[in-house]
Amino acid sequence: MKLALPPFTRTATFRLAVLYALLFTIFSAGLLIYLYFATVQYTRSVADQRVNAELDSIQKAFRDGGLPRVNQSLIERASIPDRYFFYQLTTARGTKLSGDLSGMPGDGVGWVQFPIDAQRPDGSLLTIEAEGRIVRLGDDALLMVAFDAQQRNEVTSRITQAVWVAFGVGIVLALGGGVLVSRWVNRRAEELASTAEAVIGGDLHRRAQLRGANDEFDRLAERMNAMLERLERLVKASRHTGDSIAHDLRSPLSKVRNRLEGALADDDISPDKARNTLETTLEEVDRVLATFNAILRLSSAGNASRARMVRTDVGELMEEIAEFFEPAADAVGLTFRVEKAKTAIVLADRAQLSQALSNLVDNAIKYTPTGGYIAMHMAVDKDTNKVDLVVIDSGPGIPEHARDRVVERFVRMDSARTQPGSGLGLALVDIVADVHRGELLLMDGRGAPDRPGLKAVLRLPLA
Amino acid sequence: MKILVIEDEQESADFIAKILGDAGHGVEIANDGDTGLRAARDGAFDILIVDRMLPYKDGLTLVQEYRDGGGNVPVLFLTNLGDVDQRVEGLKAGGDDYLSKPPAPQELLARIEVLGRRQPGDVPITTLKAGDLEMDLLSRRVRRGEQKIDLQPREFRLLEYLMRNSGQVVTRTMLLEKVWDYHFDPQTNVIDVHVSRLRAKIDKDFEEPLLHTVRGAGYRLQG
Repeated sequence: MKLALPPFTRTATFRLAVLYALLFTIFSAGLLIYLYFATVQYTRSVADQRVNAELDSIQKAFRDGGLPRVNQSLIERASIPDRYFFYQLTTARGTKLSGDLSGMPGDGVGWVQFPIDAQRPDGSLLTIEAEGRIVRLGDDALLMVAFDAQQRNEVTSRITQAVWVAFGVGIVLALGGGVLVSRWVNRRAEELASTAEAVIGGDLHRRAQLRGANDEFDRLAERMNAMLERLERLVKASRHTGDSIAHDLRSPLSKVRNRLEGALADDDISPDKARNTLETTLEEVDRVLATFNAILRLSSAGNASRARMVRTDVGELMEEIAEFFEPAADAVGLTFRVEKAKTAIVLADRAQLSQALSNLVDNAIKYTPTGGYIAMHMAVDKDTNKVDLVVIDSGPGIPEHARDRVVERFVRMDSARTQPGSGLGLALVDIVADVHRGELLLMDGRGAPDRPGLKAVLRLPLA
Repeated sequence: MKILVIEDEQESADFIAKILGDAGHGVEIANDGDTGLRAARDGAFDILIVDRMLPYKDGLTLVQEYRDGGGNVPVLFLTNLGDVDQRVEGLKAGGDDYLSKPPAPQELLARIEVLGRRQPGDVPITTLKAGDLEMDLLSRRVRRGEQKIDLQPREFRLLEYLMRNSGQVVTRTMLLEKVWDYHFDPQTNVIDVHVSRLRAKIDKDFEEPLLHTVRGAGYRLQG
């Protein structure tokens, strides 16, 4: 038959508690056994030594003066008030010569235990445990020295009792504590699990509760919440992307459809007009394809593995990009300045990084009006071990409240709608930065407050 | 030129065949990897156009096996839209160029022309000529007629590419890929600006222009 155990018994904590209870039991059993033997044996051996010493001294009296001397000595000893020892002297046959008892308790020599009647201080009698040793005196006498073992035996039994009680209480405490702790841990784990379950069930807003104890469970909950936060953002972003793709592509496609339908419905369409319709339609479709291309690049950039990255001098890469774009900036009447860069090595996917940087410069050229400037430079921060690739322009800039949004996919500022573009440029830079364990920072440029320009910083960790 | 198109999607294959046919090339189509490889080995083609995704044998394996078997005809890969990794893989497997689907007709034709003219095992040349324009690849000197022309390193590489393919159309994407090794589309007309700077240096003081713009396609250096 299988026993149905309560759920907390299946927790790691409970198993640990049981294990610890077991270890505790073994340890305390050892300790108690040692304690028991140490005290009991010690009291026993102390008593033995005293008995032996007493016997020695009486045997000495026997050697000095025979039995009469022994007798004399015993009489003297008997007169000591509150004496510790009992004595008994008999002939070898057992006939009493002198002593406290009526006869020798036991025959032959060695240790004996026996009950004796003793007188209480008030005169009443009681039976107590005594223990003694019998030795031969010469050939025809036996001598016993005994003592009251009652007290010692009581101590021994009390120690024994205490040992058993301590043992029992210890086990109960260990197991009980284990049960309490594991139920507590189990409850907190269940709280986290129920949060996870709620999220699995689709409630992405659900967060784990913090107890404020700042213990490992709070830390776990904190991290779990941070993870959920990021997941929720990603899910929202991809939902947003899906919506945007549908929205952004539907309008050009329906335009194409209308144009084709119109051409088809026109029975006497001139060859020139038909051709014109096809050409504009083709352009429209090419734009849709270009958008798809950008989306696919974006998702392949996000999937890029760090395994493919190589040590790349981003200073050189920046100068190449600058050299590539400088004539284009010049052609639209922009001053293009690039500070000569030092060497800065970053673990990078060269193609992706070139594209990210080129997107930033592309944007700067697109949005900076004629007569403005674009400046590029690189800055290495030795303390944080990071390198900044900076593109500054004198365009309109991006207001602070919009900066988080412009890196989202398909988000374009209203002022940018007149320019060609898919709204994926900065999203790609952001993803590339992420893949390289860096970040994209957008801030005000160097211009006046009403027209600050944009400073885009691609911050990457140095290799 | 005689071109083998290995592509399983019939519509796409027909589209490519029509573009090439209109331009005067002979085209054969194979619809899967196995027949494609056999056709490539048996027929005397000038160029192979190979789709990446094929039944029975994918494009990469096909080209690898073709190259291992000693085949040396230039290969143009057709890759899926936007997949940057496929480019690197394709070139590693023995492809000579790549183009994403669906290819723009002018782009396809320009690449085919350039690939077709590349003679495998050419003797290395040290001088390029187009009309009275001369480029010495060793001393890196350029002159037109009697006049010496000073070029920036990048302008030199741009002109070198145009001269190596003189008489043929090269597209902006081709220049971006082959001269700068960038594989993205800049939103701005960067390439045009570079070309017009170069044009100012080689054509400005001369009566006969050498560097022509081909509308809707790209540029052609014609001696």
